[in-house]
Amino acid sequence: MPIGFTPLLLRCSSVELNSARRWFCSVSSNSEQLRQLIRTHTEVTRDHMTPEIQLHLITPRCSLWSAKGDDAPFTDPFWAFYWPGGQVLSRFVLDRPRLFHNKTVLDVGSGCGASAIASKLSGAHTVCANDTDPVALEAIKMNCELNGVYLDTSSDYVIGSKIGDWDVVFLGDMFYDSDFADLFNQWLPRLSRSGVNIYVGDPGRLPLVNHPLKRNLVSLFRCPLPENCLRENSGMSTGTVWKYTG
Amino acid sequence: MSGFRILVGCKRVIDYAVKVRVKPDKTGVVTEGVKHSMNPFDEIAVEEAVRMKEKKLASEIIAVSCGPQQCQETLRTALAMGVDRAIHVITEPKEYESMQPIHVSKILSKIATEEKADLVIVGKQAIDDDCNQTGQMTASLLDWPQATFASKIEKSNGDLSVMREIDGGLETIKVKVPAVLTSDLRLNEPRYATLPNIMKAKKKPLVTKKPSDYGVDITPRQEIVSVEDPPVRQAGQKVESVEELVTKLKEAGLV
Repeated sequence: MPIGFTPLLLRCSSVELNSARRWFCSVSSNSEQLRQLIRTHTEVTRDHMTPEIQLHLITPRCSLWSAKGDDAPFTDPFWAFYWPGGQVLSRFVLDRPRLFHNKTVLDVGSGCGASAIASKLSGAHTVCANDTDPVALEAIKMNCELNGVYLDTSSDYVIGSKIGDWDVVFLGDMFYDSDFADLFNQWLPRLSRSGVNIYVGDPGRLPLVNHPLKRNLVSLFRCPLPENCLRENSGMSTGTVWKYTG
Repeated sequence: MSGFRILVGCKRVIDYAVKVRVKPDKTGVVTEGVKHSMNPFDEIAVEEAVRMKEKKLASEIIAVSCGPQQCQETLRTALAMGVDRAIHVITEPKEYESMQPIHVSKILSKIATEEKADLVIVGKQAIDDDCNQTGQMTASLLDWPQATFASKIEKSNGDLSVMREIDGGLETIKVKVPAVLTSDLRLNEPRYATLPNIMKAKKKPLVTKKPSDYGVDITPRQEIVSVEDPPVRQAGQKVESVEELVTKLKEAGLV
């Protein structure tokens, strides 16, 4: 890793969240340094529910796996983990290519980009991986290169906005926060009325299990989660793909 | 959702590895700038609750901590270990110094009732005061059965079968649910929180309440008179024979 880079980053991680991200944006006009950081702290792995797709992830073999959070060089690297709700959604997408062939797909909160990549592999016409974290977008680009696909990326905050142009919207493991569940409760009916097909992947997180939104969800696919998911997800052992109706 | 709803008490204490120093004015021990962490027996309680969730015996775990603002770090650790949500009952630092198990158990029992908990699990004692009272008092206030010093907890036809560590060895009892359990050292080995779980924990709900929200008065019932170091151990004397021992005892005026 370039020597001058690390100390600056570590000082940066004690600065406010958004400042650190803006700093990343300005330094990443040459994104090679960011990519090098991602390569250093992750490993390329197929050890998940979609072994057809290679991803740069922080695994138990990486030193950051046992980091405390404050000493990680990335702020909240959600993109560095393949969350179980995203895994079950990607598995479904790869197994049912007919649903996504020639469609336009928006993956909201794309993280590592797996569901977006899966839809490209299933023949989707246009795919956009959306995540407000610019580091995630860089990781997604790297993951696309690993898997020989091209897709668009966007960092806009889309939840609540009018995006009726898409055929399909993915929400892979986005219900870890009950505030998000409430936001989706407002947004998804409007999306659905404008003709968008909404697919949700979830491992049984409480904010969704207990939410009135659940009444509008139809289960399409259910799958047991692999061992490495169980260890990190204290009790959630089944992933479900839901379709929003209503 | 079937499974138990479990309430776990987590106390923030001075870390077990820190060398504790008494304050020069003898009113207490130095806590300013000293490393704190979750009471190790409470970590074991949290771990047991999480394992019960993994075995599908429990469906929701709520962690509670009483004390100043920094207790939220303790609760975030519990959330990172797998607890679903947390309640911080906030007190002023000065009030916390005089807080006793009687106050905590009143708060825990009120929360257990409000949250409709099936089990309350706490560490058998805290490593700072060694009181070993909160679990028992909570059970009494709730009029629930208690299984203390638990080293093994198993489900047994809707009730619990609990192995307890007692002076004579091990005792196994059956307790009906709802119940209060206190964890002993050999119950389990707590997990370390990994980065993905620390990140997820930041999004889990943590609410702040006051003791007055539960109708609990935390006016101290005891006054700490003084806190002192244990006396320095005096050097002993070795004697060669019983006669010498008797002589020495006579000289000291003890016989």
